[in-house]
Amino acid sequence: MAQDSVGFSSDYQFWLQKLSVWDQASTLETQQDTCLHLPRFQEFLRQMYEVLKEMMKAKKILIWCLCCLINKEPQNSEESKLNSWTRGLLSHILSAFRFDTKEVGLFTQGLGYAPADYCPGLLKNMVLSLASELRENHLNGFNTQRRMVPEKIRFLSRVCIPLVTLPDIEPLVEALLTYHGYEPQEVLWPEFFDAVNEAFLLKKISLPTSAVVCLWLRHLPSLEKATLHLFDKLISSERNFLRRIECFLKDSLLPEAACHPAIFRIVDEMFRCALLETDGAPEVLAAIQVFTWCFVEALEKKNKQLKFTFKTYFPYASPSLIMVLLQHPKEIPQELWHQPLKHISEMLREIVEDQTHGSYGGPFECWFLFIHFGGWADIVAEQLVMSEAEPPEALLWLLAFSYSPRDRSLQRTQTMIEVKAVLGHLKKLFRSPTLSAKDLQAAAAESRDRDPRPPLCQQLIRRLILNFLLWAPGGHVIAREVITLMAPTDELTYEMTGLLDQTLYRWDHLCMEAPRSRKLARELLAELRSAGTAR
Amino acid sequence: MESLLQHLERFSELLAVSRTTHVSTWDPATVRRALQWARYLRHVHSRFGRHVRIRTALERRLQKRGRQDGAPGSAPVPGLTNFQALGRCDRLLSLRLLENRALGDAAYHYLLQQLFPGPGVPDADEETLQGSLVRLARRGSAVHMLRFIGYGENSVLEDAVLKTQAELLLERLREVPKAEAEGPSRFLSTLWDRLPQNNFLKVIAVALLLPPSSPRPQGEELELGTPKTPGEGGQELIRWLLAKSDVMAAFCHNLPVGLLTSVAGRHPELSRAYLGLLTDWGRHLRYDLEKGTWVGAESQHVSWEELYGRFQSLCQAPPPLKDEVLTALESCKAQDGDFQVPGLSIWTDLLLALGSGS
Repeated sequence: MAQDSVGFSSDYQFWLQKLSVWDQASTLETQQDTCLHLPRFQEFLRQMYEVLKEMMKAKKILIWCLCCLINKEPQNSEESKLNSWTRGLLSHILSAFRFDTKEVGLFTQGLGYAPADYCPGLLKNMVLSLASELRENHLNGFNTQRRMVPEKIRFLSRVCIPLVTLPDIEPLVEALLTYHGYEPQEVLWPEFFDAVNEAFLLKKISLPTSAVVCLWLRHLPSLEKATLHLFDKLISSERNFLRRIECFLKDSLLPEAACHPAIFRIVDEMFRCALLETDGAPEVLAAIQVFTWCFVEALEKKNKQLKFTFKTYFPYASPSLIMVLLQHPKEIPQELWHQPLKHISEMLREIVEDQTHGSYGGPFECWFLFIHFGGWADIVAEQLVMSEAEPPEALLWLLAFSYSPRDRSLQRTQTMIEVKAVLGHLKKLFRSPTLSAKDLQAAAAESRDRDPRPPLCQQLIRRLILNFLLWAPGGHVIAREVITLMAPTDELTYEMTGLLDQTLYRWDHLCMEAPRSRKLARELLAELRSAGTAR
Repeated sequence: MESLLQHLERFSELLAVSRTTHVSTWDPATVRRALQWARYLRHVHSRFGRHVRIRTALERRLQKRGRQDGAPGSAPVPGLTNFQALGRCDRLLSLRLLENRALGDAAYHYLLQQLFPGPGVPDADEETLQGSLVRLARRGSAVHMLRFIGYGENSVLEDAVLKTQAELLLERLREVPKAEAEGPSRFLSTLWDRLPQNNFLKVIAVALLLPPSSPRPQGEELELGTPKTPGEGGQELIRWLLAKSDVMAAFCHNLPVGLLTSVAGRHPELSRAYLGLLTDWGRHLRYDLEKGTWVGAESQHVSWEELYGRFQSLCQAPPPLKDEVLTALESCKAQDGDFQVPGLSIWTDLLLALGSGS
């Protein structure tokens, strides 16, 4: 913008000269010149319009433009007149408000104050006065009761549009946003919401969360823009680690705002669309997972104030399923994690395999609900690897489902068999003192007499291998070698870093000890990241 | 130290000149020097803000200079009136020069270049002079735009204007040196003589209604070790009002009834004085048998309606004011002879009109 304004002010001089030339003579030459320059002039006028529109916000630019017009040595009366006019305009722009009542002017002068001295205080008092009017309060008891009619409030919101980025106006903006009248229609000017939302997203205004929630509840486009703005940040070219995603999310105030079911539904819908459009991209999955973490956390904090049943947030889901999913693994001892997992698996399976699709939506809906609470899927994989016992079918099903929800039952059963076979090999190797990378490779190898594994199944197997490396006593020795074998390409490295990050993030949230595994995971993550940038 | 004070003197003179036509003789070099001086003093302000001795010395010199006839308690001259103003002296100078049409084109051009260097120069923080001027301009525009939200007589602007004036008054009161006991009174009396009185009365009333813990509203920097506590300004006002009976009479006569009631409710000393005046006014009324109402002997006496209106307002106030008023009325009624029948004592009639439930 700085570049534009430099060019713009010199353009302005250029056009001013041109205009005076065209004005004075009307020969064939000037006519031709005019025609030639018309498109460029049009472009300039368009730019000027943009600049003037920003007048309040970019007062500086306007002032710079006017400064350029001042001629330090006017040669004739015309130039003097222009100088005089420009000076008047500058003075007008820069001067603070002057009281036009004589009495008041005399008072302030009598006390030795210039308008520049009391302008900030006056603005503050006006803003407070207007804000408290909106809240229907009495000011210090010396005013009679006044009601602001809806038209006035509408006009006020319109007037505030260019003022939104001025910090002094914040109390008024807040009062407008939280104003609840008795009119059935929205009383505030729509562009007001746009202006406030944009200022908020660009961090030019700071508002309390309650005001922002009001903004989003009253003006759907603002909520949508805010969510898209968040998506932009989350799904950028560089992989964002879950900690950072959590920061962005909390910063955006969306998880907290989503405690209001209407907002949650809209944001959730947008996440769903993003997921469908990207065909289940892991970044979107991660974002949904972290969003749900933050949302549940915020909901718990507000527990005393808001009392919406979970059905209002997830209207298409089975209530009992939601209750189980909402359980925090931290509250259940690790040895007993099998139970909720089995329970989830059974409930999901019942819904998915119900041919009539009941009232709880098809496989995709189920899966979409499930991945909100993605931590459970990660826990399944971990549990299956760590446990000495025979893998329960319910958990195998859950794992297969979480990776590939659209599989038909035959395909899924196939996956389950594959996974079971691999797990069987892995269990034999778990406590082996002479563990080698080749052993692991053999364990994960596809059997020749079956169809090649679909890519999602391969991904699943890779995950199991990674979990094995983190948990098996001899895992840290062969870890790097195995990973090099498993993730030779950039894409696979990317996948691995994502898995490691997710695992560490989950362990932090669950306050899981496991110092050795943690150390290994962190080291591997660091190595993979630097290898990735080195390439 | 002496050189610093001299510098201050010269700059104050410069500031005074900057509003006159004398600036027509200034060239760009003069403007540059003037801005340099201002910048130096601003630096002094930030450096010695915490240095109590230097600060007090500077403040004393400024206040002495800042009075029109040199006497403490007289009205201040616009310009540098206290230490805090030093922090804004460059802005003050710049604004005066910008508005002064007598300043030559070359000098004006130079001034603009210094103040608004243009997009090339990075505007590091908003505390630069440019940022400060632009911010001021934005605020001024905001005030312009918001004032149109007025409606009817009691516009939002009017309340805010009164409140702002009240804050300014209290700030000036705070600055009057405490050494002289008569300082504040003399100051207020000077104002009373010079300024439009009706407005002044309203401002005093609003000042008396401001919340007691009002922080310094005009200064943009936090002042360390403010010598006076807020709320003392209010005490000075009350003291002065009670000492000057003509002002007190005007105060009680001219201000809107509701406003007076609020003030009386907040300040018991004033409520007593007010009640005293009201009883005084009441005694001037005689019962006119023909008209069947109480009338004043002379035209300037307060009418029955007005008297009743005031008492009614007072009785609608929360206790203890309400109780105080009723007690006073009862005692007046008793003094008069404790009549129950209307037409004999104004106090009886007032109590009857106010009804037992009020």
